[in-house]
Order: sequence, then structure tokens, then C-alpha cells
Amino acid sequence: MPANDSDSTFRPLGAILGWVFPGLGHIVAGNTRRGFYAMAGVLTLFLGGLLVGGIDCVDRKEAGLWFIGQAGCGPIAFATSAANDALLKSGWAAPMVEMPSPADGPKVYVSSFKGIAHSNEFGTLFVFLAGLLNICVLLDAAVHAPRSDAPSGGRRSGEGARA
Amino acid sequence: MSAILSHGMIAPLFLAWTPFLQPAPNAEVWWWLLLIPMSFGVAMAYKAIRVEQLSDWPRAATKMALQVIGAVVGIAVGLYLLVIVLLPMLPAE
Repeated sequence: MPANDSDSTFRPLGAILGWVFPGLGHIVAGNTRRGFYAMAGVLTLFLGGLLVGGIDCVDRKEAGLWFIGQAGCGPIAFATSAANDALLKSGWAAPMVEMPSPADGPKVYVSSFKGIAHSNEFGTLFVFLAGLLNICVLLDAAVHAPRSDAPSGGRRSGEGARA
Repeated sequence: MSAILSHGMIAPLFLAWTPFLQPAPNAEVWWWLLLIPMSFGVAMAYKAIRVEQLSDWPRAATKMALQVIGAVVGIAVGLYLLVIVLLPMLPAE
């Protein structure tokens, strides 16, 4: 009978560590390779999103609904949003430009590095997907048996012959 | 896209680009290529928690990514045929 590396025990510490940094829950539990593989996938999406959309695609204040999913990446999402405030919205990294506004309305200024259209949409989507996948990864870290990734390890629970 | 590349319109934009601070330039031209890193990123993370033997991870992740890309390309071809070929053949009234 194949060994089962997923049990009914829920380990909150694994989930918390998985949120602190993608893959950390698996790594601390002794499933090091699995943790690094998961980290590689989540960070590919996260950094790819920032590369395409810039740090403007993580915005806790102006894109709050997107940020709910992006926050699944953990502190790196909050740090990116804070960097967006500190570098772009403050005008530190690039000059601010005036946006068109009604004649009697208040003047609105945005960073000239602000992402628009496709670059912003895909950057936001990439980071959002990274957050959702990291939630799956951290939940797995919470139920994955520690040190269960030995080279001769058995099947995952409920997976059958699929890989 | 090849016409734009051959005229050297994209290269100067990338030279002036500050990665991570600025959005990538001209994404409206090559946005569809982002399907490839998106598929691989999703497959890498998903298969990391699904494979039983970690030695299967590279093959399983590559296979899933190619399946996603194939499915999206298939949907694109199907919608192209529906909208560009089939719908114009319908009678106007």
C-alpha cells in the first residue's frame, strides 16, 4: 500500500510561514525541494508581473479588490505597495504629470511612470495569480506531512496515477 | 510585430526602460506573448504541490504549461473562425 504524505493534521505554523514567504512552510517542515519548486513558480509570476507592469500594479489603496488576492503573496505584496507609495506616488522616482480634470474640479497628478492599459492589466493579473497560487501552496504546507519528500516517497493522497 | 522590430522602434524604448519602476514598453504590441510565462508560472507552482515524486516536477510542469497554451490557442482559433469566417456568412436579415 502506498505511503500517504498528506494527513488530517492541520499545522497552522506551516500556513503562516508559507504566507511569510512563498515556499517557506514546506522548507521549514523539511520538504525543502518542494518548497523551492513552489517558491520558483510563485516568484516567477510575482516578479514577472512587476517586470511587465512595474510596482504600480500592486496598489493597496487604488486597486483594493485586486490587492485582496495579491496579498496572498504575503509581506512582499505589502512591501511592493508601500514602495509604490514611496517611489511613484510621492514623485520621487519620476515627475508627476497633471491628469485631465473638469474645469471646476480639483487638479489630479499622477506619476509619469504609472502603468496603463495592457502593461498594467497583465502586471496586476500576474501578481494576483501569484497570490492565489501561494494560498494553495501555504494550505498544502499546513497539511503536508513533515519530511515526507524522501526520494522513495509514496503517492499523494487522492492523486492516484496523475502527476 | 516583425515590421516594428525591423524598423527598430522597440529597441530604443527598452533601452530607456527602468525595470520594476516603469511598465514594460509597448506591451500593447506583444501582450499575447505573456501567455507563455503565465502558463509556466502557474504550472510550476501548481505541480510543486501536486506531484508525488519531485523528479517528475519538470516534466509535469512543462506538460501542464503546454496544455494551457494549446487550449488558449485553440480557443483563439475557434473564436477567430466564429467571428471572422462564420458570422459574416449569416444572412444580414
